[in-house]
Amino acid sequence: MAAHLSYGRVNLNILREAARKELREFLDKCAGSKAIVWDEYLTGPFGLIAQYSLLKEHEVEKMFTLKAGRVPSADVKNIIFFVRPRLELMDIIAENVMSEDKLQPPREFHILFVPRRSLLCEQRLKEQGVLNSFTNIDEYILDLIPYDGDLLSMESESAFRECYLENDQTSLYHTAKGLMTLQALYGTIPQIFGKGECARHVANMMLRMKREFAGSQNQILPVFDTLLLLDRNVDLLTPLATQLTYEGLIDEIYGITNGYVKLPPEKFAQKKPGEGGKDLPTEPKKLQLNSAEELYAEIRDKNFNAVGAALSKKAKIISAAFEERHNAKTVGEIKQFVSQLPHMQAARNSLANHTSIAELIKDITTSEDFFENLTVEQEFMTGVDTDKVNTYIEDSIAQKDPLIKILRLVCMQSVCNNGLKQKVLDHYKREILQTYGYEHLLTLNNLEKVGLLKPQLTTRNNYPTIRKTLKLWMEDANEQNPNDISYVYSGYAPLSVRLTQLLARPGWRSIEEVLKMLPGPHFEERQQLPTGLHKKRQQGENRTTLVFFLGGVTYAEIAALRFLSQMEDGGTEYVIATTKLLNGTSWIKSLMDRPEAQIL
Amino acid sequence: VVWIYHKSQKADEYLREIKEQGLLAEAVRQCVEAAGHEQEAETQKTLLRVKPLVCTSIKNLAHSLFSLSISVSAASFGKCFLSNFPPELFVIMCRDLRVLNAVRDYTVGIPLTHTQFKQMTVQVLIDRLVYRKLYPLAIEICRYLKTPEYQGVSRVLKHWACCKVQQKEESDEVIARTISLKLGEAAGISYSEIATKAYECGRTELAIKLLEFEPRSGEQVPLLLKMKRSQLALSKAIESGDTDLVYTVVTYLKNEMNRGDFFMTLRNQPVALSLYRQFCKHQEQDTLKDLFNQDDDHQELGNFYVKASYKEKRLEARVAHLQSAVDEYNKAKNEFAAKTTEEEMRLLRFQKKLEEEKGESLVGFSLHDTLRTLLAVGLHKHAEQLYKDFKVPDKRFWWLKLTALAEKEDWEELEKFAKSKKSPIGYLPFVEVCVKHHNKYEAKKYVSRVTPEQKVKAHLAVGDMEGAADAAIERRNEGEISTILSRCSPTTDRALVERLNRAKSTAAKK
Repeated sequence: MAAHLSYGRVNLNILREAARKELREFLDKCAGSKAIVWDEYLTGPFGLIAQYSLLKEHEVEKMFTLKAGRVPSADVKNIIFFVRPRLELMDIIAENVMSEDKLQPPREFHILFVPRRSLLCEQRLKEQGVLNSFTNIDEYILDLIPYDGDLLSMESESAFRECYLENDQTSLYHTAKGLMTLQALYGTIPQIFGKGECARHVANMMLRMKREFAGSQNQILPVFDTLLLLDRNVDLLTPLATQLTYEGLIDEIYGITNGYVKLPPEKFAQKKPGEGGKDLPTEPKKLQLNSAEELYAEIRDKNFNAVGAALSKKAKIISAAFEERHNAKTVGEIKQFVSQLPHMQAARNSLANHTSIAELIKDITTSEDFFENLTVEQEFMTGVDTDKVNTYIEDSIAQKDPLIKILRLVCMQSVCNNGLKQKVLDHYKREILQTYGYEHLLTLNNLEKVGLLKPQLTTRNNYPTIRKTLKLWMEDANEQNPNDISYVYSGYAPLSVRLTQLLARPGWRSIEEVLKMLPGPHFEERQQLPTGLHKKRQQGENRTTLVFFLGGVTYAEIAALRFLSQMEDGGTEYVIATTKLLNGTSWIKSLMDRPEAQIL
Repeated sequence: VVWIYHKSQKADEYLREIKEQGLLAEAVRQCVEAAGHEQEAETQKTLLRVKPLVCTSIKNLAHSLFSLSISVSAASFGKCFLSNFPPELFVIMCRDLRVLNAVRDYTVGIPLTHTQFKQMTVQVLIDRLVYRKLYPLAIEICRYLKTPEYQGVSRVLKHWACCKVQQKEESDEVIARTISLKLGEAAGISYSEIATKAYECGRTELAIKLLEFEPRSGEQVPLLLKMKRSQLALSKAIESGDTDLVYTVVTYLKNEMNRGDFFMTLRNQPVALSLYRQFCKHQEQDTLKDLFNQDDDHQELGNFYVKASYKEKRLEARVAHLQSAVDEYNKAKNEFAAKTTEEEMRLLRFQKKLEEEKGESLVGFSLHDTLRTLLAVGLHKHAEQLYKDFKVPDKRFWWLKLTALAEKEDWEELEKFAKSKKSPIGYLPFVEVCVKHHNKYEAKKYVSRVTPEQKVKAHLAVGDMEGAADAAIERRNEGEISTILSRCSPTTDRALVERLNRAKSTAAKK
């Protein structure tokens, strides 16, 4: 069911199986039939661990969404609340428990905190007088969720906001804990590198936690050679740029949530003879996107301009495979052909789906507006006129284009110019507030706090130095047969990935100057391994590096890292972990403050 | 069998015999077992007639047993002698006997039989030694038997330390140092347990000193709270990075301290302060305000009032909040925010007034949407006034009016507007907006006014290939010519395509 998780360099299915085992054990602790009441936020992440069938096997008969009032009647022995440790949820649970029908046979209550229990929440339950109503209060440690064969995500949407805006480092604590779990399963990671305040904090916590476990030596041969912790605010630029890989564009345009995407249904209408075009589906088409689908794995990381060719090549292969049937003469041959049919049909469906998606995307990428937006982005990234008010942005505001589009562009200009001149910044802010409403003052304030938007304090703009030293702009990016990571943004090489690449070879010592220009400390730590666990590398064997993006990572960055893994003489393979998969839009959205205005 | 033990001259003979019967292994095994039971009673010793061996220490017995078999093997039967006899039995028995011998010593006085020992397990034996405070022996035994540190040495050390803290005659300083020296980095030591013991004996200071050595903050913090060392608990919680722990201490502090002290404490701990702010944001809005006040954080106070204003249902209340925000922003020297918020208040009042006069619902709209609505319903004068009062940039106002009029399909007004003065946004937007509203006829009116650079685009927008071609050829712009060519379809006039191609090649030559 999750075989694609085990195909990578590191078998991430071990992690998933460990998570499933723990879930089963908890469910069995509550003997008898049960109903689960879900904190709605958790259903998506849980879907990556277990389907309903697993729950059903353990006598889960009903599922509800947590909401105020009474838990719907269900003839079950146990009611289990699956919740994040949040106070407002505790109040709802307390209400649920207290309004339980006294006339019905009593049901047992349990709480499962995800990812860990909280004294604060238990205290709140105690205050509400319901703490003793629970038979089991337990925690389900779900920090890093296997997302794909080389990808782990904590699916924590608000991590960036909490860390950089609210100075709440809870998600970093979970990160450190998650990395400890990972090390328990895959061995101690001997080398830790990092850049940024949060990275430093996580590394400190990890080393501290290791001391706490002193004595119970980890006897597993290390799978990872290196851990690289990167703060998202070391590279604020990359997520603002429009991703130009296939997967990146799907995410930019339709948004991928917990591995699923919802698409407009028209293009996917199954044309059956006799129905003649009526009854077009109105429900969005929901597709799961991961490497389990062979074709998708092949094309997702390509620059969109290379996807068309790949699709038509695939189409030829598939139709050739179907043509084979004419060559099948003997019974044996026919039998063999038939046995391959299901696989071939799946491939054909997959091809049809992706052809439709590619058409949908193409309509957008060939539009004038997309082109103009991209041109402006690329001007900023190459440092053209970043110190002046940009006409395209002005016109877009005047036409009241979506606010997030504007914010992405303005922030990008600010980042590429190391801040905007006060006059320019104030002009943009005024334009935005007058057009979209004064309430966005709060959002602008947030963007300034996290450094996405800032007044230029010194006249020195160090972005050009960073760009040149790290070769962030490659003039002749080859989209069809890439030879550099810059293909993922058709010219721009994501800063975060460049740092990763340079760490592997020739090492960060060569870029000390630039590292100092980027925010936060950079550091290196070593973790002692028990004797006998030192890996002896075979000649030509690649190193494995886990890159952890604190505060989120984009699909294009992942594509760039995969490209590095596959490079012939790269010498390093990457596994990627993050607090959340994001794009510029979802990222900015998470930083917005929208007071709900009462109607006067 | 026992005869073998005697250094009898017949030994070799007996051995051969036993060997031939294939019983040697069994014989040796029995010997080993017998040795184990040997200490049961004095009477048995005599019976066994292996007195000389027994009189030496148990250890020697085992050694002799071991060396005997080796020497026998070497002397008589060659290297393969007893090759399949597992050595573990010997080794384990040797160890067990040594341990038993040690505890049977009269200074200890635990006369255990081997069977009893096996029954009760090493764990229990260690416990008994610990109860008798025979710590050094217990530790020696743990080390000798290679018991995992966590169950062995560390456990004994912990008991020792717990005992140590009760020694009233020694100072806290000395005890803490002794304990830390002895325990060092021993695995799995729970300093908090030792500290709890010290605290129970009324030695709080010692307990605190001991807790310093505890690596697990989860253990440290609750005890510190119990001992009313909340400040220390708070810094420990923060050090751990476990925010739930920090919250726990903060809630505790909040209940224990008076508000002033509580706020002061938080002020010195920024991490705790930010977490508490988060808590207040969701749970206690008023406290949040007090916190900002205490810190003279005027910027945040301004934001706070802005947020609060949106919760008000009456205009006056909302404006009052905004005024407070303006005051705070001024104090924070955030001129921009203050001015903008004042602007917002003015807009609200304007909207309300107009709403009452004209019955058009406007309150809460952005300035942009207000203007648009006014233009849409034909209140041009009011729109003009707003545009001047709020210093809306010309460019944006032109865009706004253009789109609003096009949407209304008020083409006459639009034309008047276009002619009112020179457009700050040029005339291409006029063409494009008209096309967007499916009015090519109107669009064409503006094509001639478009700047030369944008002419081609304008012609193309209205679908005039000829015009576009003329403009591009006139400008000898290769890029533009190519754009037009890419838009040509098989139905396009042949002559036009040829003309473009010719122009393209001459432009390219230049």
